[in-house]
Amino acid sequence: MELLAIFISAILINNFVLHYFLGICPFLGVSKKIDSAVSMGLAVTFVMTITAIVSWIINHWILIPFNLEYLQIVSFILIIASLVQLVEMFIRKSSPPLYQALGIYLPLITTNCAIMGLALLAALKNYNFVETVIFGVGSGVGFTLAIVLMAGIREQLDLADVPEPLKGAGIALIVAGIMALGFFGFSGMIK
Amino acid sequence: MSLSSRMVIVLTAVGIISGGLLSTVGILTRARIEANRLREIEEAIITVVPGAKTNTKIYEEKDFTVYTTRNDQGQIQGFAIYTAGTGFQDKIVLMFGTDAEINKIFRLTILDQKETPGLGAKITDKEAFLKYWENKDCSHPLMLKKPPVAQEELGASEVNAITGATISSEAVLATVNASLAKLRSLIQAGTIQIEENNGQ
Amino acid sequence: MASKPLSQEFTKGLWGENPIFRQLLGMCPTLAVTNAVINGIAMSLATSFVLIFSSLVVASIKKLIPSQVRIASYIVVIASFVTMADRFLAAFFPPISKNLGPYIPLIVVNCIILGRQEAFSSKNSVGRSLIDAFGMSLGFTLALLVLSSIREILGAGTWLGHQVLGSWFEPWIIMILPPGAFLTLGILLGIIILIDQKLQRSK
Repeated sequence: MELLAIFISAILINNFVLHYFLGICPFLGVSKKIDSAVSMGLAVTFVMTITAIVSWIINHWILIPFNLEYLQIVSFILIIASLVQLVEMFIRKSSPPLYQALGIYLPLITTNCAIMGLALLAALKNYNFVETVIFGVGSGVGFTLAIVLMAGIREQLDLADVPEPLKGAGIALIVAGIMALGFFGFSGMIK
Repeated sequence: MSLSSRMVIVLTAVGIISGGLLSTVGILTRARIEANRLREIEEAIITVVPGAKTNTKIYEEKDFTVYTTRNDQGQIQGFAIYTAGTGFQDKIVLMFGTDAEINKIFRLTILDQKETPGLGAKITDKEAFLKYWENKDCSHPLMLKKPPVAQEELGASEVNAITGATISSEAVLATVNASLAKLRSLIQAGTIQIEENNGQ
Repeated sequence: MASKPLSQEFTKGLWGENPIFRQLLGMCPTLAVTNAVINGIAMSLATSFVLIFSSLVVASIKKLIPSQVRIASYIVVIASFVTMADRFLAAFFPPISKNLGPYIPLIVVNCIILGRQEAFSSKNSVGRSLIDAFGMSLGFTLALLVLSSIREILGAGTWLGHQVLGSWFEPWIIMILPPGAFLTLGILLGIIILIDQKLQRSK
């Protein structure tokens, strides 16, 4: 029950993009087409899940036992940077079609604050191992949901008559605001 | 010098310098950060059990910590319970104090919450919410009064809900009731024992 | 790099190349912590500290670092300064540290900082890099200040905790909630482009 609550809350209530404002750069940058939004979402979900697992292990097996919490930021960012490299090499070798789909999005993920945010939030919320993994998957799904919905709206928006100064980032942010408003309606659904 | 050995040397040097600097910063700030955390708990205990002089942690699990408090004569006054529950947006972390028989709640304080500002966030407000929790009979589960009534009209174990923030009010109520039940069962099972050494 | 006058190196961060309004960098902290002016100020100070010191270090050691490992080295430098800022706030300003939560550690992935190292400090002299970092920091601070002022005044009727609007004002709570952040920044971007167009035309 607790796990389901974490999962649902990560997707809908405390959505990474619309509630925590994490991963705004790809959310605005890669949301012009639904296809690329889906790929980006999958790539992020994938890396998030692995990051959740690895960062938990590092945090609970190395940093906390040896009283090295102050190295958290340095080690998390290095883990993420090397993980993304590893994942990229691995996918390129093992699954060319997947690499075709995710390839160009993987390097962008290193500087995606959503991944770092996940590692930090999971540590801050003091989740145990299983909770951290569920939180990682849920957050990834939440990110995918937000970016795909956004891409759907923006494809339609191309046909709309948007005031000149708001074209591009301006209207995208306003749309995101309205989406955040909609997602706010999910608050309180978990008791 | 070959490029690869230069790469290794540079990265090692950067790593060692930053590691050294950070461990200095870490050691210099650790005591203070730890003291801040303890002081926050200490202050909360004094808020929820008025007149508490000393406290002892007697039980701890995730999101549920029990302290016993003693007054300046060293007599046990009751329990301070640190706990958390799911609110409207995120976790609500709170602490409340009871007497040793768990018949009365002295006071309640909210330590951390991310409820809606202006609505649910009023659970941290004394006038709007917290004052109704003072000196409540908790021998039975507490109940929420909705819509709110004047303080004199509340029953011995009734507290007012916040208008427009029923979910946040209910979340606090449910968390407190669950913690009370848990504390009682822990005492019954003998996991928590209060050694009476007052009057010595 | 064509060298601009030093004054221009400084002022470009404020308007022409403002990291938030123009380059749309560092959006996460911009949107997340601007629900109150005090949080905006704390965030600006922490980010400026990290940006200025990272630029100083990167510009001073740029010749020693082989280009293959430069990003890794920059990240370690930045992460070290972020950790210092984070520990300092946690030790001396615990309420602010609690309010900003994970967003102080997240400065490490703020694109402004790595972006400036890669685009500027790694190619320019120490002095010039410092001026650039100060300009960008001030631009970031300015943007956060504007955004958090609008949100706090409309969302709570206060500025830095002081009541500025009378009791007749019913706060628009939405402004301090996440949707308000997106809406305010979106409209602000539009206004800035509008002003810019007017300026261009009058030239």
